[in-house]
Parts: sequence; structure tokens; C-alpha cells
Amino acid sequence: MLVLPALATPEALQAALAKITGGANVRRGRVKLQLPPLVENGNSVEFSVTVDSPMTSTDYVKAIHVFTEKNPQPYVINAYLGPHAGRARITTRTRLADSQTVHAVAELSDGSFWSDSVSVVVTLSACIGDLV
Amino acid sequence: MADAIVSVPPSARPGEIVEIRALVRHPMETGFRHTQTGERIPRNIITHFECSYQGAQVFRATLHPSITANPLLVFALRATVSGRIEFRWSGDNGFSVTESAMIRVA
Amino acid sequence: MENINLNRRSFLVSSAVAGGGLALGLQLPFGITTAQAAETVPEINAWVVIKPDDSVVIRVARSEMGQGTITGLAQLVVEELECDWSKVSTEYPTPGENLKRNRVWQSYSTGGSRGIRTSHDYVRRGGAAARMMLMQAAADQWKVPVNQLTVNKGVIAHGASGRKVSYGKVAAAAAKLTPPDEKAIKLKDPKSWKVIGKPMKRFGTVDKVTGRQVYGADLKLPGMVNATIMECPVFGGKLKGFDAAKVTGMKGVKQVLRVGDSAVAVVADTWWHAKKALDALPAEWDFGDNVKVSSASIAEVLKAGLDAPQAFVGNKAGDIQSAIKGAAKTIDAVYEYPYQNHAPMEPMNATARYTPDRCEVWVPTQDGEASFAATLEASGLTADKCEVYKIDLGGGFGRRGAFQDYVKQAVLIAKQMPGTPVKLLWSREEDMRQGRYHPVMQCKLTGSFDSANNLTGLHMRLSGQSILASVRPAIVEKAGGKDPLAFQGVADSGEHSIGYTFPNLLIDHAMRNPHVPPGFWRGVNINQNAVFIECFMDELAHAAGQDPLEFRRKFMAQHPRNLGVLNAVAERIGWTKPAPKGRFRGLAQMKAFDSFVAAACEISVDSTGNKVKVHRIVAATDPGYAVNPAQIERQIAGSFVYGLSALFMQECTVKDGRIEQDNFHVYNSMRIAQMPKVESIIMATGGPIWGGIGEPTICVAAPAVLNAYFKATGKRLRSVPLKNQGIELV
Repeated sequence: MLVLPALATPEALQAALAKITGGANVRRGRVKLQLPPLVENGNSVEFSVTVDSPMTSTDYVKAIHVFTEKNPQPYVINAYLGPHAGRARITTRTRLADSQTVHAVAELSDGSFWSDSVSVVVTLSACIGDLV
Repeated sequence: MADAIVSVPPSARPGEIVEIRALVRHPMETGFRHTQTGERIPRNIITHFECSYQGAQVFRATLHPSITANPLLVFALRATVSGRIEFRWSGDNGFSVTESAMIRVA
Repeated sequence: MENINLNRRSFLVSSAVAGGGLALGLQLPFGITTAQAAETVPEINAWVVIKPDDSVVIRVARSEMGQGTITGLAQLVVEELECDWSKVSTEYPTPGENLKRNRVWQSYSTGGSRGIRTSHDYVRRGGAAARMMLMQAAADQWKVPVNQLTVNKGVIAHGASGRKVSYGKVAAAAAKLTPPDEKAIKLKDPKSWKVIGKPMKRFGTVDKVTGRQVYGADLKLPGMVNATIMECPVFGGKLKGFDAAKVTGMKGVKQVLRVGDSAVAVVADTWWHAKKALDALPAEWDFGDNVKVSSASIAEVLKAGLDAPQAFVGNKAGDIQSAIKGAAKTIDAVYEYPYQNHAPMEPMNATARYTPDRCEVWVPTQDGEASFAATLEASGLTADKCEVYKIDLGGGFGRRGAFQDYVKQAVLIAKQMPGTPVKLLWSREEDMRQGRYHPVMQCKLTGSFDSANNLTGLHMRLSGQSILASVRPAIVEKAGGKDPLAFQGVADSGEHSIGYTFPNLLIDHAMRNPHVPPGFWRGVNINQNAVFIECFMDELAHAAGQDPLEFRRKFMAQHPRNLGVLNAVAERIGWTKPAPKGRFRGLAQMKAFDSFVAAACEISVDSTGNKVKVHRIVAATDPGYAVNPAQIERQIAGSFVYGLSALFMQECTVKDGRIEQDNFHVYNSMRIAQMPKVESIIMATGGPIWGGIGEPTICVAAPAVLNAYFKATGKRLRSVPLKNQGIELV
């Protein structure tokens, strides 16, 4: 049976993040999250995550995780890659329930974590005002 | 639309990094929606995707309800030898789809 | 080179004086100059540009569509700026600039009657900050403390020395100053307002009445081609294919293009050539299952919802089931409200020019940022490579805000013809068939009385379409499947709360969503909800043998501002005195968009009951603050044009899955001779909340007239529009 998780909140986001990092420090940089700064309705938003990494057998990106603050759940995707990818870049599409910040975290082969965040405005929020 | 559409370059040079696009038909029902009469629509999503190259896993992903219907995944792969690239999506209610493509490396 | 010219002339961005950020000069390439010579124009801050000749440009992010918002917003800025109103003009900052400047102008959304009420604070602060900087610049120049200076109409004076200087002379120096701290900005007490509250003339009227105003449909760019489009007329259907060869030889035709998976467009030298070719183009559609849907089948589905066991609860008090069970008497009635179209005079249009490095769009839009988002999505380019230039709208009414389908289409067409500006203009028929329609709704109301004829309870069961389920499903998900917007005007709290307190109350919504795409039609869900509750209140009063005004008042003790506007219209129309011979009165009230509105009308009905003349309307509005009473009066009068047209004439019916009404001959609006005199009462009672103007009043037009019709004929009309019952407005 499906248990409904709590709606994503900054706390839920932190918890989700901690689960991935095991409490390790997450530094800003090396990750580029590309997402349009304005979207019309959030029903489908394409984004990509690129990590600055040589992607060699000893220095590569192990995983890319993407989270949101205001979707029903914080998780969007966990992508696991390795040196055979050659390039640390993924593209997919997400729903965005509201204007919010999207976070991308990369886990590197040396155990370090790097991140990038982008604020997105869902323009349709504006015309519905206090209901959102 | 077929159940799955994958895009793999038919040929590449040894060591070339190629872009792989994988799209599959699926509603990605979030589990948070209701019918018009207020009943919750059960979650029905793809939870896992994996890609293997010559039998070895080269990319995998865990998908969540935020991912849009008909999920698209684009990622990179270093072409080393000619061979088969296999794709597999699996998820709720026993959902499973596979697709494959050949790449010629020379 | 033509392209470079177009770019330069269309949009000039250059850095102004050091530290002053950017000043933008937008020149549309058809001779209308909204600002120019950016290099020499000091921007005081994002809101205010002052030129050396003392002329002032106020930047307004919201869109003008005839509602007067740019004039009102400029008044708010000017009130705090203390400049000379006669030297003020306005311009639209572009959405791209807004993004680059960390959204300094905030929301561009011009809907929900929010233009003024949600931005009055920050635009006034913008004006105040600019004034403080200008005065500081003068103080610095004269080496005197700034608190010794005064300002009047853009002239700063130092009383002690008798020195004076105008804003234009210190603007360049002011632009270099650090903006004041937010906390140091103190807004004026409303009692000392000099510009807010005055009936300033609307900007742009001369251009509009002389025909100089260039609307999106009139836009011409060098080298531009014209496109028109047809999307699958059955909503949800797809374009299977088309035989381009049949029309490519026709005069002027340049391209026949697929646009997305459900539309085909023809591009030609002139719009008429494009339209003729599109009409002649054999196209094949996959209509899908929706082709089976008709108005009758939709009505059946809604009817079943009236008694369905499940419904989402929007407002609840006491125990309505017990009240009905224990009633000495109950009465009930079923009302219905149709699909309606925004039907703006100017059909949807957008002009786009795409190259792989740059995509620009010129568009009449209610939300420049939404148009920008649509441009990003359709072009696939990044934000730094896109720009949107707003044009005043030839009508919006909610069609041009939340929905940017026409912008995406224009960009998708332009993308297939890189470098060539393409103007996409929908035909009237396309505009009518591809609306985002006022949702369809039925309502069953039940009232319970005790043996002394006191109303003990009210059940209002809505059955019909949710806008948000279609347009913004995330909100419905968050609310557990409920559409909170369905209860506008009858909600338990908030900006659309009900104006009555009943001992037992249940308002619930059986959501029934047909395939017709719904949208935010001016007023949105208050239009049907006002008809339902305000007509039924009259029915209840009649059943209790009481005067409709007196009956309402019994439930309004806790709603003083609702009561205030209701009393105001009753008094002005002379409710307690007999109506002139042959005339009959009706009234209605509602709270919507945080404003309180009421209407009372006088009508006469001919002996057949089929010809209705509305002689007089009295309308009261309490928006808290009246920024420009003249604009408010016009908005109120215009609301009756919209509301009475909707009541008597307007319905979109569905046949074979598509909308039948494809032009104005079958979707009419009232004419000037049918227009009653509208007397407006503006009650600015102050308080912390500012209400909206553009939408609230529309909804009281229909119930006031329907209640008067009952008074005249003894017949209840419970289905809109009245043309279906052979009743016309004369």
C-alpha cells in the first residue's frame, strides 16, 4: 500500500539531501543546473545538469540528484553514471507545482558533493494569487 | 508513439562520446491526483531505468512522481566497441519495457 | 543590414550614468516612441526615468487593455515622487529586462483584478525612493541638509536661501546616488494624497480615438510575412496530415507548415492570401473520442452531479442535513450557466522573429513574463537570447494571460523561417473556436424554513467544470482534489468570501470536467455563483413573504461592508419608495477580488415578457481605496456592457466536440442603444486591504436584472443566456 509522504518542504528537502550525502558537506560549484528561469505552467519543464569532471576511471561523477522545494515530494531523479559516460550531463523533464528553487547535487568518485540551485518562476501562479 | 523511442547514433569513432536519448510512453501518474469524485488515483510511475552496453550497465536512474509523463532521459556514453545498447524501464504494477539499438564503432 | 536595423530600432539597451543601472529605451519600429536616447536619460530607479527637460517616464509592468491600469499605477508612483503630472508618460519594461534585474518590477500578470491592489505598496515605494534621491542630489549640490528642502510638482526648493531647482536638473546626479534603505522610506498618509484619488485622464486615449494606436494586429515589421493558423477544432484532436501542394501555387503563399501536433499554418505575403489558402487547404484530422460530445451530453453529466453523493465541500456551517430534515418547509431550484467566450475585438496574435541566436516576440499580452516563458519554451533558446515586447491589448478579459498558445505558435512558425519576422494573426473563427471558455456549471439550491418562516439553512450544490483542474492541476492536487476557485464569491474566507451568515450552510461542488478547455473569463467563477446565490436569495425572500432587501439584511450583520454597498444602492434607487409606473426593481451584492459590490436596477418588460428594457442601474463599489475614480466609473459601466451581454446573448454550445459559435453574428454583444444609464457609487472605506476593480461588478448585473424580471412578470429565469428563452434586451 502506498503511504503518502508529507508534502515537500525545506525540511523534507534537507532530510532527502541528508539521506544522499550521509551528512557530508555539500559545496557549491562544479555543477551547472540549466532550467528556464520562467515557465508558463510547470506541467513539463526540461532541464539539464552538467558536472565539471574529466570522467576518467579515477575521477568521475558517480551520481546526480535533483530535488525541488515545493513539489509534493522533494525528489525528482537520482541518476547513476560512471566513467563510461565520458561526459557528466543528463537531461530530463519535471513537473513544477509552483514557483520554487530546484537543486542539483553531484556525488563525485572522491566522495565529495557539489551543487547548484536555480529559482524558477511559474508565471501562472501570479494570476491565481493567494490560492497558491 | 511506440512504447519506447531511443536515439543512438548508428556509428561512432572509438572513444567518441555520443548522446543517447530515451523516451518511453507512460502516464507517470503521481499518486497525488484525485478523480473528479475525489478518489485518490493510485500512483503508477516508472521507478527505474537502466542502460547497458555490451551487457554491462553504464547508466541507471531512479525516477520519482515529479518526472513528467512520457519520461525523456538524455545522457552520454563513450563508444568503445561495436555492439548492442539495451534499455530497460520498470515501475509500478509490473511495468516493464525494453528496447535496444546497435552502434557501429570504427 | 536590415536585421541589424530592426534590432537597433526595436530595442535599445545601454548603460546609463555610472551606478544608475540600465535605462532602456524601447522604440517599436512603427513610429511610436515610448522612450529614447537612453544614453542621456538618467534612470533614478527601476520605476522612474527623468529627462533633462523635466519630463518623467514611469515604468509600468502591468498591461493596458482598456482598463486604465497604467494610468492608476503611474498615479501611485507620482504621488510619492511629487513630480508634475502633466509631464508624465509611461513605458513597459520588457520581461527580459525584468529577469536580468532580478525581477525588480515583480509580477507582470494583469489578471485577477490585481494590477493595482497587489502592487500599490512597492510602486509607491519606488516613487518615494526616487524622490528621496532627487532631493538628496539637490541637497548635495547646495550643501544644505535635505530636511530643509521641500518639493512641489518636481521643483525642489530651499526656503531659507530661496534657491530652486527642477528634477530634470538634478536627475543625473540623483541617478548616481545609492538608493535609500527600504526602512527609511515612509509612505504618505492617504489623507495627504494629491494625485491618488483624482480623476486623471487616461493615457493613450487620443491615440486610440484617432486611430494612431498600433495594436498587435496592425504591427508591421520590415520584411515581415503573415501567417494564419487552424488548430484541430475538436479539442484534444490531432492533425493527421494536409495536402500542401493544393495551395502552394495560390497567390502570395510562401509556406504551409505543421505547428505542433494539432495545427497547420499558412504563411503568405499578406494575411488575406494566407487566410484564403488556409481555407482551401485539405487537412485531415484525428478528432478522437471527444467528437461525440455535445452540449446535451455535457448537461446530462452535470445534471447527475446535482444529486451525486460525493462533492467537495467549499463552505460549511452548522448541520444542513438536520436543518432540511427538520424543516417546516423547503424550496429548491436548479440554475444553469453556459460556456462563454472572451471574444475580444482583436483576435489572438503575436509577431515573432527567430534566429538561432535571438528570438523576439511582439505581443499584446496580459502577462509579459508568461509570454516570455512561452517564447523560451517554443524557441528552445536561453533567456539571454529572447525578448518580448508588449503591445497594448485590443481586449483581454482573461484570454491573453494564463494562456500563451498563440505566442508558442508564432515562435514555432518563425522557427521554421529563421530571420524572417512572422506575424501570426488568428481569424475571428479561429479565435472563437479555440477559446479558453467560461466554465459550464449547474447549481441546485435548497432552502429550509422553520414554522415561523425563518430561513434555517441553505444548501448550494454546484455541478460543473473546474478551471484549475485543467489549467493548474498542482493546486487541485494540493487541495485533495478540490478546486478552491470554484467557490469564488461564496467561499468561507478570503478575497471571495460569502456576504451572509446562515445558521446552517453547505456549499459543495461535484466536479464534472468536460473536454472543452476552460479559462479565466473576466470575473471567473463569481459570474455563475452570483446568479445562483443572489437569485435564490430572492426566491427565499419570496417564499418567506419578505422584501428581498430586508430578507438579505437579516444575514448580513457580520458583513458590514457587504451591507454598506447594498444599502447604498438601495437608497440611491429609492428601494423603499414605489418604482416609476411600469418599472420593476431588482438587486444583488457580492464580495469579489477583495472589493464589495452591489447593483440595483430598474427594468420594464413588454406584455409578451420577451422584451426587456433596462432603464437604470445603480452600482456601488467599495474597493477600500479609489486610485482614480473616473477610471473606476468607466470600469463599472463597462462591467454592465459585459455582464448584460453575457446575460442576454452569449453562449457557446458544443456540437460534435467543437464550439459552434464561430463569429459575432452568433455570439452577440449589446449595442449602445441598449445600454442603460449606470450611476456608480464609489465607497473608499480604507483599511489594510485594497480591492480590485476590473472584474467584481460584472457578476451583479445578471442577478439584479433577473430578480427585477421576476418582480415584473412573476416568472423565474434560471438559465442563461436569456436569448434561449426568446427574451431580448431592447
